[in-house]
Amino acid sequence: MSQSRLTALILLSPWILSFLVFWLFPLVYSLVMGFTDYRLVARDWTWVGFDNYRSLLQDGAFRSSIENTLVFVLGTVPVTTILALGMALLVNRQFPGRGLFRAGFFMPSITAIVVIALIFTNLYQRGGYIATLAEMVGVTPPQHGWLYNEGTALYAIMAMDVWMAVGYYMLIFLAGLKSIPEELYEAARIQGAGQLRQFFSITLPLLRPVALFILVINSIKSFQVFIEIFVMTKGKFDTASMVYFVYETGLTTAFQFGYASAAAYVLFVIIALFSILQFALLRRRQSLW
Amino acid sequence: MKAVIIAVLAVTFLAGAAGAATTIEWWQFWTDPAVKPVIESMVADFEKANPDIKVKLTDLTWANGHEKIVLAFSSGTAPDVVELGSDWIAQFAANDQLADIGPMVSVDSAQFQGWGLSTYKGAVYACPWILGTRVLFGNRDLLTRAGFDTAFYPINWAQLKDAAKRIQALGSNLYGWGSNTAEKHRLYKKYLPFFWSAGAQIFSDDGSMCVVASSKAVQALRTYQELHDSAGYVDTQRGIEDAFLDGKVGFIISGDWLLKRIELENRKTNLLSTFVPGPTYPGRSFLGGEYLAISKDSDNKDAAMRLIRFVTSPENQVKFCKANRSANPSSLAAQDDPYFSSSLHLQTFIAAIRTAEHPPVDPDWVYIEDILEKAVEDAIFGSHLAGDALLEARYKIEELKGLR
Amino acid sequence: MVRTIIRAAGRYLVLGVVLVIMLFPLAWMFRVAFMSPGSSIALGSLFTGDFTLGNFTDLFVSGSIGRYLFNSAFVAAVVTLGNIIFCFMVAYVLARRAGFWMKAFFATVVLVLMIPAHILIVPLYVLMLKTRMYDTYWALILPWLVYPIGIFLVKQYLEAIPPSMEEAARIDGAGEARILLTVVMPLCKPALAVLAIQAFFTNWNSFLFPFIFVSREELRTLPVGLAHYQGQQAIDWQHLMAGSAVAVLPILVLFVFLQRQIVSGITAGGIKQ
Repeated sequence: MSQSRLTALILLSPWILSFLVFWLFPLVYSLVMGFTDYRLVARDWTWVGFDNYRSLLQDGAFRSSIENTLVFVLGTVPVTTILALGMALLVNRQFPGRGLFRAGFFMPSITAIVVIALIFTNLYQRGGYIATLAEMVGVTPPQHGWLYNEGTALYAIMAMDVWMAVGYYMLIFLAGLKSIPEELYEAARIQGAGQLRQFFSITLPLLRPVALFILVINSIKSFQVFIEIFVMTKGKFDTASMVYFVYETGLTTAFQFGYASAAAYVLFVIIALFSILQFALLRRRQSLW
Repeated sequence: MKAVIIAVLAVTFLAGAAGAATTIEWWQFWTDPAVKPVIESMVADFEKANPDIKVKLTDLTWANGHEKIVLAFSSGTAPDVVELGSDWIAQFAANDQLADIGPMVSVDSAQFQGWGLSTYKGAVYACPWILGTRVLFGNRDLLTRAGFDTAFYPINWAQLKDAAKRIQALGSNLYGWGSNTAEKHRLYKKYLPFFWSAGAQIFSDDGSMCVVASSKAVQALRTYQELHDSAGYVDTQRGIEDAFLDGKVGFIISGDWLLKRIELENRKTNLLSTFVPGPTYPGRSFLGGEYLAISKDSDNKDAAMRLIRFVTSPENQVKFCKANRSANPSSLAAQDDPYFSSSLHLQTFIAAIRTAEHPPVDPDWVYIEDILEKAVEDAIFGSHLAGDALLEARYKIEELKGLR
Repeated sequence: MVRTIIRAAGRYLVLGVVLVIMLFPLAWMFRVAFMSPGSSIALGSLFTGDFTLGNFTDLFVSGSIGRYLFNSAFVAAVVTLGNIIFCFMVAYVLARRAGFWMKAFFATVVLVLMIPAHILIVPLYVLMLKTRMYDTYWALILPWLVYPIGIFLVKQYLEAIPPSMEEAARIDGAGEARILLTVVMPLCKPALAVLAIQAFFTNWNSFLFPFIFVSREELRTLPVGLAHYQGQQAIDWQHLMAGSAVAVLPILVLFVFLQRQIVSGITAGGIKQ
């Protein structure tokens, strides 16, 4: 091997090793495990083909975890995106104190999710701040708090998630807004277009790629929601997400590695399909313009 | 000359062998500062009485102890003696991880209570050590405020519901019933006493059907639901205990650790303790406990058994119970110790354990637990009817056990 | 004139409301962290309540939070350093060399970026068990030494820099290692700074894998330690918030000083897409 080839290989080795050991191997291993009944408690395992997948279809807990995850994604992603855009518009122009507001809006995004989940566990308590706020606007909070209630627990977590994420996506929108050339707005103003018209004709269309990017990465992240659920409800009250299902089935009590691996792959396929769907739908709309 | 050398070698070899101590490993869960010294002194006493055995003690926490034990068995590094919760035994036994100790314990079986929980498919896999049950605790001050006699205690569901509602009606942030939130492996344990007191069972006597949806079971769940809806203070186990000890809740179901808390925290709760009531008196509570098992792959089973016998002897059980304020030694001789008749509340526990019911010893119990738990949660926190929730549980359990 | 004032006032009002909503929970956390245990945490008490350092001392003395803090800092530092070195190495090759294999390797980077991490939960757990890395610092560090996003970042940055300086150094007879260290790395400082910040933040706040791979108390990082505090049920809100404050404070301090780099790191990724 030539000297430079060898050097290249050495330089690439950290990634090659990392990829092989911590990504490729687990991916394949997990796929194989999904076809076995491998459990930690048992002394050995057997090949069961598609049995795990068949059982998953009939597993009420699995089905409801898919349902909960879909509700979570469809509920938080659009709302977060719209609110993030709104916030970006608010702090886009220069004004005194802009940096402070921008930083303040962004702060929840850099705080560890565990901490936020702990804080909100208290805020959502029976008699807590959010309950008091609700009563002030005439909404009766659930008897035992927002989290100890199947009807509201998931939505409470979703609201917290939106709150946590908006700052992050606001920054991305801000960068997108900055990349729109001023001349376009000038031209529009000369032609007599008002602010609203400018927004819909210039800003939105040109933000489309950024918005698409945000929708896709936010969706992928949201499909994997786990920490909040683990800290706040341990999956109870109809809040178990798919990743929580994988964790609970595979790494607690019965340690059913095979079954959990199969579930993880189903989640993977769902995420992939969803992302492809998003790309297809949103890309096509652009060409219609 | 050669003979002398051989003789010397032989003697030194034998002496060495005789003097070499076997080391056995014991994993146990009692790590809190009030109790750990007792465990350590027990081990020291044992080593003194058995100079050929050394004991290596390892601590486990309730948070991840089960996981550690599972990991140890799967990687072949399990200890000789391991403390197991009663509901874990069947799964380990079914997976061939525990030694069959039947032959070793046949002599002393009559002196202990609780063998039912450690017998699987006719073989015995663990020795009962400290048992546990649940009783109904009440706050006498709140009862008096609600107009009850100082000697009152609820003897059936009707009286319990009535008392809880009357305490709830006292208003001003007072609640009648400490109701568990959906905590894994805790909520259903509060329902089961109601379930068993009503005479319901999980499986039919011949084991061919799952009968969790019987009318008795539904009645029991409805009663629990009523308590929860009309007078419930919902929180984690710790939360409702805190509130109860603070005098804000009228009744809770709890175990003997509550007595320990009261003593260690110097609480002045005017306590009432009685059996968890059923539709009639008395109710049947939940039997569980800590057991000591020997791992199948252990090389020192005899030494392990000696340690177990020592720890579970009546004297050592009483010593342990005194330190931990436990109220349910498994040794019948220990149960008769005057320590337990010294307090009304300890007596309640001793009496309760004699009539308590235990869950089926089934390796799938973990999954059945989950199913039952889901049913109770759906009925209490979701909007399912008790009957529907239990029926769904029945179908799932029968599916799981292949009974359909 | 009046209209502009009203409009400005309106804008500041909206901004103010949003700011309060965004910051109140964090402010609440910091306030409660300094209140004595058992005291009321109702809204009024936030103003009238006391101010004590007791919770923090409790946590450091009997609560192991010092250990958690050390673990978080140690692991994050090692991971960040590793990422700086390794991502740089890999990105250099991918940026400067062409050909089928380079494209293939880069494809693996992009692939990994797109695969959700949850699929690794079970197999990595089993891997850690079998290699006896479970419950050791190795498990907390090794899988995260080369973040694909890091490779991405540095590669893009390098591609925008012409290789003229490296070629000049090569003509002068300098060895590859010397060139990398003395010529290219200094050129990459901005990208490496962004990478370091991203790596540090991501690792400091991470919970899922540190939680799964470690069970001993001595090895827990801050987020994992906090979750266990909560699980213990013997802890009150004041102490829990004090622990949370310890977990959040270093990040907030870093944020104040490194705001620009943090923001540019996030937006760089967004725009390039």
